[in-house]
Amino acid sequence: MITQNERSIALACLDFAREAGAQKARITLNKNTEDLIATLDGEVDKVTRCADRSLSIALFVDGRFGTFSVNKMEAEALRDFIFKAADTVRMLAPDACRTLPDPARCCTSAVTGTEMDIYDPSRESVTPSQRREAALAAAVAGRLAGKDLDASLACGHEGMRLISEEGEYSDSVFDTLVVDSQGLECIHSETSFDYGVEVTVEDAEGNKYSDYWWTSSPRLAGFDASDCGFEAIRRACAQAGSEPAPSGKYNMVVSRDMASRLVSPLLNALNGYSIQQGNSFLVGSEGRQLFSAGLSIVDEPWRKGEAGSKLFDGEGVATREAPIIEDGIVRRYFINTYMAGKLGIAPTVEDAIRPRVCPWPSPGLDAAALMRQCGEGILVTDFNGGNCNMTTGDFSYGISGQIFKDGRIVRPVSEMLITGNFLGLWQHLLAAGDDYRLCATKLVGSLAFSGVDFSG
Amino acid sequence: MNNNMDLFGVDCAGLRSIVAEGLKGGRWCDLYFEQTVYNDLLLRDGTVASGGFHLDYGCGVRVLDGEKTGYAYSESTDMPALLDAARAAAAIAGKGGSFGSSAPLCPPEINRVEYAWDSTSKKELAAWLERLEAAIRAREPRTVKVIALLSWSQSDILMYNSLDSLTSDSRPLGNVTVTVIFRDGTRTEQRNVSRSYRCGREMLSGELLEALADEAVAGLDDSFAARRPKGGRMPVVMAAGASGILLHEAMGHAFEADFNRKGQSIFSDKMGQRICKRGINIVDDATIPGNRGSLRIDDEGVLGQKTYMVEDGVLTSYLHDRISAEWYGVAPTGNGRRESFRYNPIPRMRATYMESGTDGTLQDLIGSVRKGIFVDKFANGEVKIGEGDFTFYVNRGYLIENGRLTMPVKDINIIGNGPQALADIEAVAGDLKIDDGTWTCGKEQSAAVSCGIPSVLIKNLTVGGE
Repeated sequence: MITQNERSIALACLDFAREAGAQKARITLNKNTEDLIATLDGEVDKVTRCADRSLSIALFVDGRFGTFSVNKMEAEALRDFIFKAADTVRMLAPDACRTLPDPARCCTSAVTGTEMDIYDPSRESVTPSQRREAALAAAVAGRLAGKDLDASLACGHEGMRLISEEGEYSDSVFDTLVVDSQGLECIHSETSFDYGVEVTVEDAEGNKYSDYWWTSSPRLAGFDASDCGFEAIRRACAQAGSEPAPSGKYNMVVSRDMASRLVSPLLNALNGYSIQQGNSFLVGSEGRQLFSAGLSIVDEPWRKGEAGSKLFDGEGVATREAPIIEDGIVRRYFINTYMAGKLGIAPTVEDAIRPRVCPWPSPGLDAAALMRQCGEGILVTDFNGGNCNMTTGDFSYGISGQIFKDGRIVRPVSEMLITGNFLGLWQHLLAAGDDYRLCATKLVGSLAFSGVDFSG
Repeated sequence: MNNNMDLFGVDCAGLRSIVAEGLKGGRWCDLYFEQTVYNDLLLRDGTVASGGFHLDYGCGVRVLDGEKTGYAYSESTDMPALLDAARAAAAIAGKGGSFGSSAPLCPPEINRVEYAWDSTSKKELAAWLERLEAAIRAREPRTVKVIALLSWSQSDILMYNSLDSLTSDSRPLGNVTVTVIFRDGTRTEQRNVSRSYRCGREMLSGELLEALADEAVAGLDDSFAARRPKGGRMPVVMAAGASGILLHEAMGHAFEADFNRKGQSIFSDKMGQRICKRGINIVDDATIPGNRGSLRIDDEGVLGQKTYMVEDGVLTSYLHDRISAEWYGVAPTGNGRRESFRYNPIPRMRATYMESGTDGTLQDLIGSVRKGIFVDKFANGEVKIGEGDFTFYVNRGYLIENGRLTMPVKDINIIGNGPQALADIEAVAGDLKIDDGTWTCGKEQSAAVSCGIPSVLIKNLTVGGE
């Protein structure tokens, strides 16, 4: 949690900024503490202790603007730093659009930092030995080493063996304090208990396959990593014997753990900087139906107890629940105060905080249901590289996954590519599931599309 | 030379006592003090109205017990804070160790600074960015927006370890990245060009300005006309320079010794074996003066060096940090790198390239292909270490039809398998070029790297398309 002393330091920085000639200033204090235990093949391999504090300082001086950061917290050093920063700002060109947000838009309800109920005070009492126990309990290599994996883990393949298991348990607390010269003061605190594991398996011919699985919870009571290692092994074994399928157009189902990869470019394209600079394929899209009527994305930042929830954005502006894309129609850009001035439009929050893709055409759909609905196609379970041209929306990604026919998985595929344009892809949305991973901060269930170009 | 002890407020006795505390938990302990000051200036909408500087300061303490690592850091370099960090790192709790000794290091000066960055006013630096925008607009009337970021940093480092080895370093890094938006009727194109060097303000020459402006607009008509090719497997000719991303993704990561020590890499059982045709040499090099990937000394206090990974087609060395070098019983190769004092070092690439071959010129390679693709501009790549499947994203290229470049193509991913792609290199031209873009590798931590390659012909890769 932010201490009274740290709060005093942040407020002192506002005084230093005023003293240095800044008419306005915003100070953001970020603080992160993390303890991590990594395992390799069932033994403790790494113990790490992290403790970070940094101040981000935004200065508005004589119609000019600059941003600075520092992780030295001594008062005299900070004063010198801010005076030097103000001198630097004076050398920049003036920019009339730079200002703090309207106080009426700012958050007044983040007083203790715990309002979102994602801070677990029990994290403070977790002992080093409990961390070791948690990391070792989640590791599965000791139970599986030196013998063939059983059929349920090996997805029916014989002679599969676990070659390597790297696990990481960590617990952390992250605190943010934002204060500005207009009287804004808001605090956010969250804890996180995490486990991620990467495994490499080998088949009888010596071919290797690797995969990853993870879980996370803001509360220790809701944290359960017991199946992570097994799930990673199942995912790796499912790729055994994979090879490319013939190039062509296929229905595509993207599993819930990968589907956010196809949503992020839409959210990035709605960012005010991209819109203002013209390097977004969604310039001029607000209010227009550009996607399938089945696509609805809503920002839900106020879900108490759920990871990613937050009452304010980076400027201290109050978040709110709001549609982003509704029935295929773009409802909002993400416009911060600066971009609002540049574009001459009303500001919003600067980013999607906790976006959720709404189920369509009905709730209760998961990847299996989507495969049954599609009949045949390719289930994408992993992406390998690729990118999106944000100016045009053209994309191309490496993928691996499973061919399915009659709604059932037939064989694994790898070393393939999907290529297209995001506008076209989302116009061909067939269904959106609600099998969300609640530990993620973007809630995206499995997705199904028609007519996707696969190269193999 | 100033060894940076004043900067961090420590002395030899203090360093020794911190390491002694760490040695209670393992047989090796090292300290990594760092102060990095990062500056930036951003040109957008015709003016440099945004900028700042950022100070990051602290010390990492690492304790090793065999391959096991204890790591902690402190943002204060006061003795009590550093001793706390040493005790936290010692929680790896092995049998404990003692001090050894080593010969003093004399690293060569490869990253020279002629003019310190702070010897020039920010107004002058901003003016250089404004001239760059003017040069681009003068070349290309279809220019809509120019976003240019100039950043420079100075990292001052002090390292001390349980061999009683004290080393220091001063690492400059300058970067220019330019994004240009062009419009032709209703069509929009974006170009990204960049340069990065370990040097001072002298990098901002008139020649660099002209080169960036030329590159930003080169082949723009083809970019507007470019289409997606028909996808599938085909021969790929990769131009000299940035195509070195192939080596970084397809081979370099798989040669990093941590992946091999753990049995995860597809190359973990191939040491000493032929993995590509005779005559091919693949290098990871820390000694190129001013190169973004160059290091006088790595982040474990090992001399920067040039490491041959593949010699005459045979795999001869992995890239080692101290942990993997001890495990394999070889000398460390100076590849122990870290993003900052917040991270423990791991094996990372530096400047990775293939030496020139003897199979003619780029035109010879293109001329030998009946139907395939030529690529020369890239964005990013990725690799799956176990399977060896790698990808890289192509910003620009052309179809090859009957030995000639025809239709321009763009925005396609290419995928292949590392060992197979190495074996499928059919021809290597004699035109090695190191690319000086702002390449950054993201293996667990961020690291400045570079890459290069002569023009090569690969028999078969899968190209994304319609």
